[in-house]
Amino acid sequence: MKNLLYLVIFIPILTTAQQKQKLVSGTVVDAAMNMPIPGASVYISSSMVGSKAKEEGVLDGAMLGTTTDFDGHFELRIDDTVKSLLVSYMGFKTKTIDVSGAATDLTIVLEESTQNLEEVLITGYQKIEKRKATSAYSTIDVSEIQQAGVATVDQMLTGQLPGVLVQPTSGAPGAPSKISIRGTATLNGSSDPLWVLDGIPLEGEDIPKEFRDKDNIDNLQSFPVAGLNPEDIESITVLKDAAATSIYGARAANGVIVITSKSGKKGGMHINASANTFITQKPDYSKLNLMNASQKVDFELFLASREDLTYQKDRGDVARILNTYNSYDTFQNNGFSALDPEVQNAINNLRALNTNWGSELYQMAVNQQYSLSISGGNDQNTYYLSAGIFDEKGSTIGTGQQRYNITLKDNFNLNDDFKVGVSVFASQNKTFSYITGADSYTNPAYYARNANPYLRLTDDEGNYVYDPDLVERSDLNLNYNVLEERRNTSHDLVANSIKSILNAAYDVTEDLHFSTQLGLQFDFNRTEKFSDRNSYYTRKYRQRSQYATPTGDAYFMPDGGIIQNWNTDVFQYNWKSTANYNTTFNNLHELDVMLGTEFRRNKTEEIQTKGFGYNPNTLTTIPITDERVLANSLFDPLNKRYNENAFASFFGTASYTYDRKYTLFSSLRYDGSNLFGVNPKYRYLPIWSVAGSWNIHQESFMDEFREVSNLKVRASYGIQGNIDKSTSPYVLGVYENVSILPGMNEEIIQALGAPNPNLRWEKTTSTNIGLDLGLFDNKVFLVGDYYYRKSTDLIGLRAVPLESGYNFINTNWGTVSNRGFELAINTVNISNTNFKWTSGLNISHNKSIVEDIQIREENFKPSLKGYSANAIFAIKTAGLDSNGLPLFWKDGKKVSAVDFYNLEEGTDGSQLTNQEHRDLYSYVGDGAPLFSGGFRNTFQYKQFDLRILSNFILNQTVQAAPSYYPTLARPGTNYSTEILNAGTGNLPALIGANSPGFNTDLVYNWYNSFDAGRTYDDLDIWVKDMSYIRISSIRLSYALPARHLEKLKLSGLNFNIEGRNLFVFGSDYDGFFDPETYGSLYAQPIPKVISAGFNLTF
Amino acid sequence: MKKLVYLYIVLMACISCDDYLDIKPVGQVIPSSVEDYRSFLTSAYSITNLGNVLTTYRSDELQLDTDSPGIEQYADIYIWNDDNPSPLTRSFPYSSFYSIIFYCNHIIENRNEITGDSGAIDELVGEAYALRAMQYFNLVNLYAKPYDTATAGQNPAVPIVTKYETDVEYPVSSLQEVYDLILDDLNRAEDLINVDKQEVGLNYRFSTEAVKAFQARVYLYQNEWQKAIDHANAALNIHSELQDLNADASRMPSEYNSVESILALETVASFDTANNTSISDDLTGIYDQSADLRFDLYFRPISGGRFRSKKNADTKYKVSYRTSELYLIKAEAFVRLGQTEAATSSLLELAKHRYTPEGFATYQQHIETLNEEELLSAILEERRREFAMEGHRWFDLRRTTQPKITKTYDGQRYTLEKNDERYSIPIPNDAIINNPNL
Repeated sequence: MKNLLYLVIFIPILTTAQQKQKLVSGTVVDAAMNMPIPGASVYISSSMVGSKAKEEGVLDGAMLGTTTDFDGHFELRIDDTVKSLLVSYMGFKTKTIDVSGAATDLTIVLEESTQNLEEVLITGYQKIEKRKATSAYSTIDVSEIQQAGVATVDQMLTGQLPGVLVQPTSGAPGAPSKISIRGTATLNGSSDPLWVLDGIPLEGEDIPKEFRDKDNIDNLQSFPVAGLNPEDIESITVLKDAAATSIYGARAANGVIVITSKSGKKGGMHINASANTFITQKPDYSKLNLMNASQKVDFELFLASREDLTYQKDRGDVARILNTYNSYDTFQNNGFSALDPEVQNAINNLRALNTNWGSELYQMAVNQQYSLSISGGNDQNTYYLSAGIFDEKGSTIGTGQQRYNITLKDNFNLNDDFKVGVSVFASQNKTFSYITGADSYTNPAYYARNANPYLRLTDDEGNYVYDPDLVERSDLNLNYNVLEERRNTSHDLVANSIKSILNAAYDVTEDLHFSTQLGLQFDFNRTEKFSDRNSYYTRKYRQRSQYATPTGDAYFMPDGGIIQNWNTDVFQYNWKSTANYNTTFNNLHELDVMLGTEFRRNKTEEIQTKGFGYNPNTLTTIPITDERVLANSLFDPLNKRYNENAFASFFGTASYTYDRKYTLFSSLRYDGSNLFGVNPKYRYLPIWSVAGSWNIHQESFMDEFREVSNLKVRASYGIQGNIDKSTSPYVLGVYENVSILPGMNEEIIQALGAPNPNLRWEKTTSTNIGLDLGLFDNKVFLVGDYYYRKSTDLIGLRAVPLESGYNFINTNWGTVSNRGFELAINTVNISNTNFKWTSGLNISHNKSIVEDIQIREENFKPSLKGYSANAIFAIKTAGLDSNGLPLFWKDGKKVSAVDFYNLEEGTDGSQLTNQEHRDLYSYVGDGAPLFSGGFRNTFQYKQFDLRILSNFILNQTVQAAPSYYPTLARPGTNYSTEILNAGTGNLPALIGANSPGFNTDLVYNWYNSFDAGRTYDDLDIWVKDMSYIRISSIRLSYALPARHLEKLKLSGLNFNIEGRNLFVFGSDYDGFFDPETYGSLYAQPIPKVISAGFNLTF
Repeated sequence: MKKLVYLYIVLMACISCDDYLDIKPVGQVIPSSVEDYRSFLTSAYSITNLGNVLTTYRSDELQLDTDSPGIEQYADIYIWNDDNPSPLTRSFPYSSFYSIIFYCNHIIENRNEITGDSGAIDELVGEAYALRAMQYFNLVNLYAKPYDTATAGQNPAVPIVTKYETDVEYPVSSLQEVYDLILDDLNRAEDLINVDKQEVGLNYRFSTEAVKAFQARVYLYQNEWQKAIDHANAALNIHSELQDLNADASRMPSEYNSVESILALETVASFDTANNTSISDDLTGIYDQSADLRFDLYFRPISGGRFRSKKNADTKYKVSYRTSELYLIKAEAFVRLGQTEAATSSLLELAKHRYTPEGFATYQQHIETLNEEELLSAILEERRREFAMEGHRWFDLRRTTQPKITKTYDGQRYTLEKNDERYSIPIPNDAIINNPNL
């Protein structure tokens, strides 16, 4: 126990050599290019890394080491008794050098370690030698995908790992990327993978399922990896099949992403500093294809000229001018030329007023990113310290992110058998954004599409001009001005996070090792929304406190601003202990057994407060005393939420390898979690897997195929499960307060959801077959996997007879399968002294099928049964009739809207049963891409290094929000120019209640009032197939040659310039900023960024 | 040594695992004590529905104008358009009744598991029985035919649910079966409930008196006149006061804190009935506006010589049973049994508290001249006056004469024929969709 004291002592232990010494010197060069390697570690080690790399002649004793200088040269004084030295450098195979004799002027050639052939697979629970690995996983060095100006590592993974679909949710700073590994195994729950940092699962908020929904997109949230600086990350391993993930238990159903952070290396001290300036380009507003002022004026005139389309006679400036001069009828009857010249002028003047919305709402921003790390170590201790600053302003004015990181890692070898380590990751991450109310038409991206092009934001005196057309209802305009709103409101999230990990490992014998790890995570998230009294948000909020009095309307909300705070404290600990037994006997049999326990507990406490009548100068609020407030929860001053969960798990794995060729692996884990209300028979959940692999290239018959350097087949099968904790066999209640009769306030217990004693686990079985093939000394390396996952008994809400007392009950009703393949090919295309070209290509395909599902009878859309979980259903149109009304396909025939929807006089939606309504739809495509992947190329020419990263999506069906509604062409808002073509091609004509044409009124009434299923949104004209390749990063760097470094006394200096997201090739995405966010009216554009920076090592 | 430490840790971990995992979430509970179950039942009491409000639209008490705000929610109810109502039409309550029944069933099913004072448990379970009976009573009177001994065994009513199960069928029971359940539940309630009369504020809860008043009403609806009289008397034995409007017109006699209140549970009025409707001429016409003290108390004048109801969504207007109803039940039952004298005396006892002294004298004179048939009409008319906008009218129309009613709306005349099928409301669509047995 006393040894634990060392945990808190962070003083590197330095020892000096006392014995007779000799000098060793030499130069370290790389094998491929014969260039000196600066910064390589040259050291003596008493215990060597690796499971059975016992070398003769290595003595116990003082650790001593150095690093090579700019010419790759080193000198080292060592004890005379030392027989060998180790030379290592990142990305190269570590080499042992015999120094028993004279050892000066050595030339040490390091060979590059080929990609995918690093020594071990880090699962977070154990390190498995890759030759023994049986599971499907992908690993990538973050240095290969590092991009400047990217705050979190999730975005960098886009397209880089096979089987891992990473999609940006929005271009907003701090917006997470939605990651799905091998499709979706659930219909209701979160599909986010589990993030693990150095063995500790991270807590954080799930990305909402409908993450582009207007209600979610403007929320600031703290996601699990948001606080981690990508500079601190060494590598990312994604665990995909059951054999890899089952050790993580129930939480790993969606796959696991293991982050391995950087550690100090033995050898001298390294100091690395880097700085980047990145310029976020202003998005190309013209991508939205909106009408300009002149087009808009013409459009309004067109509407005003059509008697049948003038249902909003008082909206839009043209109408306002016509009304002011009492000329509306004159215009409608006799045309523009009949108008008084004064009126004509007034209207024509609007054409010149082109407010540049692109510049009012979006900006070019200059941003910075700095990081500094100090690392090194000796035989007793390695350390890594880093600090980072990331400061980004978004391309949408008013958005941004600032992050400060400090990371500290220290590992001690207290003696030969006992090692302890400590890591602390501390960060503050501040995200800020605009504020939007309940209805998001004040979202800038949305507003930019809708604001009239001639609308001025300030008048000649600089006063705000309120949008006369952004009205709540005909008699109420609460005055919205986007500049005023931006100035007088704020919305920010400050996430402070400390993650700390303590490790201890003890080698009982050579074969038996114990280790234990305690991870603590503290997150303090503070969200604040402030709106001053002069803001639309405040006015809108105040509106909700309106009540009628005999003398007119009154408001109980006090005058002044509104301040809302959400303070969330999250604490978790995760304590796991494992015993590993690894042995080899007869040089043929290798056995690795692990047993372990894990205990985890997390607590979340959230306090939400609201203050009204807030004065930002005095920081005071005014209490609401009016008793009407009691009935309106919008004005609750304080809300508290508390949540605690505990998990206890027991697990074990066993792996047996015969003759280095055949490996069998199995794992089993029991997960227990807090029991309240959970059926006792589901208290512990067994999760298991079996797997095997065959290293074919080790077979003697492969000897004649010298070009095959590696050939291995893998297969695995396993089961995972999950139980829905919200459903209980018992009647669970929550406390509430009610007042049934005046003056009485009583505590009540309200029954929660319907109890269901028959609820079973959700189960997912996974099968994986994989192949690893290395050719030509692994210069070509191919990894392929085929998988089949079937999730049964998926839990979801099912409608039940109302007589049960409930409308819905959670039952096991769904089955979803996912099958697909992944292929990754890494090649060294050219490698000679001056030039090297490597590439990595990966491509994945996943097809999900909902095999069983029950739908609610009242659903308007068809069941997913037999289709993808992301299937898109649409209504097939067949062009337009002579009146511009849409025609449809029904039973192979073209029919009119009247026949298609069974419209007749008085039709109010009830003419179609819900089943008939569902039958209107056809399957048009899969919302998940058919193929996704990425292509990475790196070219090295002398001191230059060019890297091109790209990712692609092939054949994804996307559905856009309609650019206009034919029955509601509003003169008060702007539109995409598509509306100008209404009535041509496939675009339905604009109609009103009395537009000419046979039965036009029926179609109008249908789309305008009674189409409760909103079928217009689902017409196939809004659906398209999307394929694209995005060049996500082009980066050129230049490493200063050694002779210059020498003068500067540096060991490395790199300059780099990078362009991110500069090009997208593929299907057109007209009307939207990016193919990734196609269809979303609310998403912020994905920024184009140009950056320049340097990286300095000494 | 280290090995032992580890072994110890693992062992301890296993043993204390259940404790480790035993977290009671804040704010959540599995009810166990009688106090928990009381809160649970209060939850059921707090579930309200607009059944009584919507039947008021359907009866002959209101007049609607096309330009009233929100009219589209009520127009098709008002004109008995059940076949193709506008999608905006308010649905008659169904699931809320069964939701309350779920709560009651859970308490009744678990009565032996509840811990605590046995008297309090009996009271609780008794109330659950009574509350359940009330839900079935409302269900059958909305959705089934009026009770008739001859046909009740064949007439379909609604499914009977007395315990919670998943994955079971819910077949429709006959009207007779439902009435049997109601009476059976009330008998059990009567045995268990040990509070004669709830105090004001808690009088949303059933008491012995409320159960008896409810029984009197059930027997009245079953045309069991003598039993209705007996149970009304039993209730009146506990408390028989009437609010004398000559002395105290500060509140309506139907309000929860009136001396008349027996049970103040059901919502009978809404914002819309108070503000966006007016009282039908038919109803205002039967009041002697100068002599009847109820008129000014119940109604307020608006422009055009029309009146609106003063009852609104305020919880003080909640009402289910009150002593006046017992007097009127007795009067009606006696006259139906041919005992006109007893009927008259019961009617006049109420009338004395409702009319000015002069008005009462005239009224008394008038009543005493009536023959048996006229007296019945007078009693039913008095019932209509007394319970104006109190949720009784539609049920009374159903169980008595089912007369022809005509209404004019948006310039069109609509007629509900005598004994029209539409005196029973179709079961709402969402219920039928989820239960194919309906």
